Order: sequence, then C-alpha cells, then structure tokens
Amino acid sequence: MMMSRIDWIGALAALCGLIAAPLLLGSTYIIGILTVALCFGMWAASWDFMSGLTGRENFGHSLFIGAGAYTAGFLNVNFGIVPWWSLVAAPIVAVMFSLVIGFPTLRLKGPYFALAMLSAATMMQSITVIFSTYTGGQDGLNGLDPILYSQLDYYYLVLGFLVASVCLLKVIANSSWGTLLRAIRGDEASCQAAGINVTFYKIASLMISAAVAGLGGALYAHYQLQVGPDLFTVILSINIIIMVYVGGMGSIYGPVGGAILLSVLTEALRGLSEYRLWVYTLVLIFILFFMPNGLIAPLWRRLRSITS
Amino acid sequence: MNALLTVEGLNKRFGGLHAVKDVSFTLKPGSFTGVLGPNGAGKTTMFNLLTGFIPFDTGTVQFEGQSLAGLAPYQIVNRGVARTFQLARPFIGMSVLENVEVPCLAPRVRELGKTRTRAQALLDQVGLGDKANLPVDVLPYGDLRRLEIARALATRPKLLLLDEPFAGLGSSEIEPLADLIRSLHRSEGLTILIIEHKLREFMQLVQEVIAMDFGEVVTIGEPAVIVRHPRVIDAYIGRMEIDEPTPQTVGASVGTP
Repeated sequence: MMMSRIDWIGALAALCGLIAAPLLLGSTYIIGILTVALCFGMWAASWDFMSGLTGRENFGHSLFIGAGAYTAGFLNVNFGIVPWWSLVAAPIVAVMFSLVIGFPTLRLKGPYFALAMLSAATMMQSITVIFSTYTGGQDGLNGLDPILYSQLDYYYLVLGFLVASVCLLKVIANSSWGTLLRAIRGDEASCQAAGINVTFYKIASLMISAAVAGLGGALYAHYQLQVGPDLFTVILSINIIIMVYVGGMGSIYGPVGGAILLSVLTEALRGLSEYRLWVYTLVLIFILFFMPNGLIAPLWRRLRSITS
Repeated sequence: MNALLTVEGLNKRFGGLHAVKDVSFTLKPGSFTGVLGPNGAGKTTMFNLLTGFIPFDTGTVQFEGQSLAGLAPYQIVNRGVARTFQLARPFIGMSVLENVEVPCLAPRVRELGKTRTRAQALLDQVGLGDKANLPVDVLPYGDLRRLEIARALATRPKLLLLDEPFAGLGSSEIEPLADLIRSLHRSEGLTILIIEHKLREFMQLVQEVIAMDFGEVVTIGEPAVIVRHPRVIDAYIGRMEIDEPTPQTVGASVGTP
C-alpha cells in the first residue's frame, strides 16, 4: 500500500503536533509524560511490526524493553560508560535475546513462541531480583546519567528516534518484505508452498522488532535515570498489546497513536484517584467492543476514503 | 536419466496406520499423470511427502536426479516443484494481486521491481485479471481454485502437483478450469501430477493413471486400461465377490457394450 498525499499530510500534522505539544503545554511534568508516551510509541510500533504483521502474538515484549534498559543501566552505572553508547548496545543485546527465543520457537507452529516470550520475560524479572548484587534487586539500578540535561531537548531526541523507527518499520512494512509478513499471517503453509522461507522472515522481523524495543528501553532508562525489574513485567507487555489493539493492528502508525493516547489518558485520569482504573478499563472495553479493529488506523482509513 | 521425478519405495506410517506403502513411480518430462483412489488411499499424504510438508520414513524421491529427502517445503518449491492444496488456502486479508505477488517473491523467480507486473500477467492467464484489486475474501470458490493455480505457476515450476482442483466446483465451472489445466500442459509443456475424484474430467485430462488403495500403488497404466482393472473397480464401485464372479459378470459391471 503506497502512501498517498493525504497520508503525508496526516503524518506531517501528527509530527507538528508532537513537536509543538511540549512548547504549548510547557511544564516539565507534561514533557515527562509525553517522553514516556513516545517510548511506549516505540514499543507499540515494534510489537506491531512483528506480531501485528505476521500474526504471531508476542506476550513478552517487555523482555526486549527490559534487556535494553538494563543494558543501559549496566554500562552506565556499573561501568561508567558514556550514556550515548547505551543507545548502540541496547538494541544489540535485545536482538541477542530475540535470537535465543526466536530461533527455537519460531520454527514451530502453535503457541510456543507466545509462551516462550511470556516465560522468558518473567524469568528475566526473577533473575534481576535473584542476582541483586549486580542488578540491584527490587530497587534496580539507580543514578543513571541523563543523555541530555534539558528535558525538552531529551523529548526531541526521543521524538527523533521514534520518528526514525516508525519510518524504518513503515518502509519495510510497505515493501515486498511486508507483503510476505502479511502473507505469513494469512496462511503459513501457503507461504511455504509459495517458496518462501517463513522461519527466516519471522526471525528477522523479531530481531528488528527487538532492536527498536531495546532502543526504546534504553531511552526510557535514561529518562527515568533508574531501571527496575518492573520493566520485565507481563503487565507492561499486556499494556503494549492493548495500545496496539486500540491503535489498529498491522498499521505501525496506529499503535504509536494508541500508545500516546493511552499514556496520556492514564495521566489525565489521575485526578479521579481510585476510580481511575475503573474509567480507564471502561474506556478500553468500549473501544474494543465497538471498534474491534481499533480506533486510530480504521478512523484514518475512513477519513482517507472520504477525501479521495 | 530422463525421468523428471523418480519415486522409489516411499513409505510413511502414522503410528499403526501405514498411510503410504512402498510407492514407486516415475514421471517423464512433459507427462500428465493422475492419481486415482478412494478417500483414505494415501493420495494427499503422498503429495505431502513429495512436497516436504510431511517427512517420509523410508524411500527415495529424486527430482531431476537430485534427492528431495529432508528438504523443507519452500526449498522443494525453489527446486521447481509447486503444488496446490485440496482446500484453497488464500492469504486472507490481502488483495487477489498480492496473493500472487507472494510466490513471485520466491528466491527461484524473484525479480525486484517486476513482481507486480508478473502477478498481473499470471492473473490474466488464469482468467482473474479483472479481479486483481478485490480483497481475496470475496472471491467465490471457483476463483479461489484459479488463484491457487496462479500462485503455483508464479514459482515457474517444472512439475505441478494439483490436489483435487475440481473439488467443490459445479459442472459449469469445471470445464473452463479443465481447459486451463490442459493448456498449461499442452502449450507450456508443464509436467502435471493431479489427484481428482471427478472421474470423467480426470480421465479426459490425463495420459497415465497411478491407481492407489490402502496406501499402495495398485497399478499404473493408461486411463482406458485402469478403469477395467478389477481392484480399481472394487475400490470405486464397491467390493465384488472376487472369488465368485465369472468373466462375463466382470465385463458386464464395467459397462462395455
């Protein structure tokens, strides 16, 4: 599917909105929320690239996020390495994790990949607690150096990485590679009969997905200046999946919108204190019930079909 | 060595079920061969063994003199053996054109930048050219069968395995599809191995028949000879009391004038 003029206008408008938002809203509190939202955007987009396109659900995306974040933590806190290097090392480590899980399980049919991701993330969470001398246990690693000292500058740095990642993922998804990934989702046996090495494409996609998630993890770590075992939790993985569903699976840009929307919504509902989760959950149920294909990507497609 | 495909002593057991038993046959280049047999005779299993979807236990399969043993299905396709499935298996969620683009991306035939035009040409060839941009989900069953064939052709096979291409089709749909298959054999010189239950169409298409029953090859021969073979009649028309009938009754039941 090629990008039409309206897509470019929409993408530019979204980008301008994200550039202007911290300038208009100003406070460091809001800039912080938006920075985290952008990290979630990277995680949701990378989840969508592998699982949304191929249909092989990944229930442990936090494995790559945690791997990236802890890599940043180790290098910076334990070895005192300049934080910029985290952004190089985190994707590499996350890709190594993706190979360990993907190589044995993506060759198989059935739920093995989903289960292996789920359990690997949970195992890593326990391992960070058990080897507390190196990982700081429940407290995690504290006192990471910021990459940039100005919050606003850091927001734009994360935005830059988000835009670059989304562009990369979208270009691949629109290429013949993306066609093959969607074919895998359609019917794996037919893909084999079409002469396509299904396993190769699935593993390669998982590696790309992991690299982006790991980079997002490192960026998140250097924003929070702290990493903890909660970065490996199932809840984080599930939240990302919800964001993808709300955004519209398989579209890459939809999940980014879903991630930003839900991150901001969570914070906006803070005023409701104990009723917050109630309202949040109701909103989710409402969206998923009435718009099972998601909110953002289907709406955009409708808008596009009206204008063209 | 002039056979395109040589199968020798092919065996597959599923637990206690001997699904394919000592199957041997050869296919010459440019031949059109049918596999005949009642349900459960092991025809589709044999296709799955030949195409690598199920590994075989013992035996050899040689394509152009090279063994296909242990190869993954996609590797066998890239050697030049394509197949269709008994139940059409389109890539749901994609357009008809994209469905054919996928096999055009197989390493064997990949030509970047030409994928789309090749896919469109293949759709024209099977008569789906004007439906290229429809979502595949809306195609009627007969068109899905044509799509299956277009996808198999996209990999430029030397040998095409068709698994019941007429299954589920009405008589008005069968004739044009049979014409298409015949033209693939005649004008493109494609070697074809076909499984089919629709006896009339089948017998008109093929030059040679491999008759199977209970996983075994009963006999191999020309269609006209096969339909007179007692075990084929047995399997298809019903069990006769082999030890009792006189020669006349056998002849009569086949319906010779």
